[in-house]
Amino acid sequence: MLVVGANGVGKSNLLEAVELLGSLRSHRSSSDKDLISWNKQSALLRAQVNDSDEIQLELRRKGGRQAYRNQKLLLRQLDLIGPLRCVGFSALDLELVRGEPLLRRNWLDRLIQQLEPIYSDLTCRFGKLLRQRSQVWRHSQNFPQKDRDALLDAFDSQMALASTRIHRRRKRVLSHLQPLASAWQQRISNNKEDLELCYLPGSLLDGAEEEEPWRLSIEKQLLDQRPQEERLGSCRVGPHRDEVVFSLNGAPARRFGSAGQQRTLVLALKLAELELVGELYGEPPILLLDDVLAELDPARQLMLLDAVGETHQCLISATHLEAFEGGWRKGSQILEAQLFSGLEDVS
Amino acid sequence: MRQPEEKIQVFANALLNARQQVGQCKTCFHLSAENECEICKSEKRQKELLCVVADSRDLIALERTREYKGLYHVLGGLISPMDGMTPEMLNISTLITRVNNEHTKEVILALTPSVEGDTTSLYLAGLLRPFTKVSRIAYGLPVGSELEYADEITLTRALEGRRSMN
Ligand SMILES: [Zn+2]
Repeated sequence: MLVVGANGVGKSNLLEAVELLGSLRSHRSSSDKDLISWNKQSALLRAQVNDSDEIQLELRRKGGRQAYRNQKLLLRQLDLIGPLRCVGFSALDLELVRGEPLLRRNWLDRLIQQLEPIYSDLTCRFGKLLRQRSQVWRHSQNFPQKDRDALLDAFDSQMALASTRIHRRRKRVLSHLQPLASAWQQRISNNKEDLELCYLPGSLLDGAEEEEPWRLSIEKQLLDQRPQEERLGSCRVGPHRDEVVFSLNGAPARRFGSAGQQRTLVLALKLAELELVGELYGEPPILLLDDVLAELDPARQLMLLDAVGETHQCLISATHLEAFEGGWRKGSQILEAQLFSGLEDVS
Repeated sequence: MRQPEEKIQVFANALLNARQQVGQCKTCFHLSAENECEICKSEKRQKELLCVVADSRDLIALERTREYKGLYHVLGGLISPMDGMTPEMLNISTLITRVNNEHTKEVILALTPSVEGDTTSLYLAGLLRPFTKVSRIAYGLPVGSELEYADEITLTRALEGRRSMN
């Protein structure tokens, strides 16, 4: 389905709503307040996913979300994840290779959360621990040394466990993604480019991939870095310092890849993601292409079309219909988005 | 309020004292009209068992279960540096003193399994361990334990498990 309309008419809103219902996250905004009309107290998203499932998510200005499935309030919002699987691909993703490490961590987290919804609890918890911990340093004059050390011990032990679990999941998902992404990169580059995904964890991961040794080792690393942390004001160990390096034929693409290669790489990653989610769930996820298709040259557009084929549902936004290669328009439903009047079916 | 600073301070202290004496049990800090609350006064409670809760609401919830027969200690909140809640602002030193003076055999920490609750629990456990046995209440299905379970199995198998529920 192609959603066409000028900038600012709400095409991206529609795609963002689908993304939120599918993953509880938006790639564009980090706060629910930005998603609610300025003069309203709440926003409501509702989708009929198939014959038997209607899902609904209410965002509230005062905070807290309420999720419903077939009109029944769910205990946890993450129980909403399931009926609607989606993989998003937006213009922001084009920065994935050359942008800040944070972009790559967020990308990984979004993917893992699709595969394992409970993961969001883990990342939320870790983020909170990190914020609480930094406040201990910021207000260290309020804490007698003994109190401060005891508090940091309490944070170390919780952060070591959360870090272990986050590292393990990120490492694991990258190893799942590696063969798929590398096959796509080969295909798009006519076997000229060999892609490697390399995980550089922000903690030293010693020994076998097991919870106990990793946890104990990270706890010790957290203790050892405290003098540095005191000086520099930020915690030096943990998944918040993770990096993913994409290498093409052995050279880091972030520094050495051409603009074209970097684009191909993002495309290969997205296709691999689509394949992985589809493989694990036994059905292809919805592909959300937000204002990104026009950014790709015709050859890459066709490659994407070819890969997506008849099997994936796609929701695509663009400002002009001409932006689409002929193949994309064929067999698509076209919605023209207009300001204030909602969406108009012109197909 | 055109009073000199000290006068206001004296007044404020008096107010605080009044609230503490009228509003809270002097031993466990549970809400109480009397100097000492019904639970602390009772002869039927097991004095060697001490359950630590964040506030009086949690105490009342636990009392409703009628399962617990020991004494309580109300912290008055949870440690949260983000919200300016430092250990000093909670009834922690009184807890240590109590455990020492009352020869408590076991302290049960009944704090919510949030970041703040867990931080407070770990902090208290570190302080109390030299003096007594410390245990934690098991909450129904805390997020942590669910994660632990998911951690043991591979991604793929976890996902298969999820699918069968749908
Ligand atoms: Zn009392």
